[in-house]
Amino acid sequence: MSSISNNDAHERARKLIALAGPDALSASDRLSDQPLSNAWLAAHLATCASCRAFAENAAEMVRGLRTIPIAAERSLVSTTQIKVRRRALELQHHRERVWLVSISCAAVTLCALLSAAILWHGFEWLGSRAHLASSVWQVGFLVFCMMPALVAAILLLAKDRHLADHSGSYEG
Amino acid sequence: MAQESTEIARGLRRRDPDLLDRLIEQYQHRLLRYLMSLTGRRELAEDLFQETWIRVLERGHQFNGKFAFSTWLFAVAHNLAIDHMRRKQPSSLDGLMNDNGEEASFDVPATGRASAFDLTLQREQSEHIAAGMQHLPAEYREALVLRFQEGMSLDEIASVARVPLGTVKSRIYRGLSSLEQWLKGAQL
Repeated sequence: MSSISNNDAHERARKLIALAGPDALSASDRLSDQPLSNAWLAAHLATCASCRAFAENAAEMVRGLRTIPIAAERSLVSTTQIKVRRRALELQHHRERVWLVSISCAAVTLCALLSAAILWHGFEWLGSRAHLASSVWQVGFLVFCMMPALVAAILLLAKDRHLADHSGSYEG
Repeated sequence: MAQESTEIARGLRRRDPDLLDRLIEQYQHRLLRYLMSLTGRRELAEDLFQETWIRVLERGHQFNGKFAFSTWLFAVAHNLAIDHMRRKQPSSLDGLMNDNGEEASFDVPATGRASAFDLTLQREQSEHIAAGMQHLPAEYREALVLRFQEGMSLDEIASVARVPLGTVKSRIYRGLSSLEQWLKGAQL
């Protein structure tokens, strides 16, 4: 029973030592925010040679860890800086393109709305001059508005057909 | 500190290349050392080093300046290393070992001025501990490096490694105990 509690005490002491932090490992005040733990640890270390040895080893290991010499080479740093600058430039160009497309979309939408309103009034005036029923000039307005899209669609279809025909003749 | 973080956050939102140049210079050794602790391989650590800074550039707007920049930087590096490891072997950080199973080396030219004897002694001790580190699981190495080399608080380590505080404590304790055991065994 007492050996179990002794083991618990050792483990507790070692955990406190390990978590105390690099500067506290070799200092007498190990955990400044936990005075009770400090007092307990100090009392334990005064009587436990193995935990004292662990504390000394831990302090030495931490000193050793801090002196492991790892340095980035100059070429790595400069290559990284170049890559980062290149990527920054790409991102900037992309952002500028997105901004340009957004502005263009907004301008096109605005123009379309304005021209639609003007055309509507134009068709209405023509309809009244020609004594047409309102449904007639309204259909005319719709056809006129859809005309560019219809023409583009017909041209694209014709182009595809043309390409398909030619590729067929090449294969044949 | 808070002022510095806020300025960095502002610069990162602008994607200021001069600021990034300065940060790369400032954190070069610390970041590489951390990545070496995670990967155990210099070549891979250097690849991840470059990727980390590209990611910092792309995701810089996510850094809000409330925490230290180094904590955020190491968290970015940690996530990249985890992503790399998942692509390679979806189990644990231990996937980040040499392909041929060889022990990786922390060995690089030492810097600083000291007497030849001190330098030799220090170098021997460092090499010994670096070798011991390579026998630890990657998550223990990471915890020890962040705690004792970077001097991070337990909370900061928890946010970098994205694990609970209790896990961080356990990893530090177990890592240090395992390292001590290995060093004792190696001295026999």
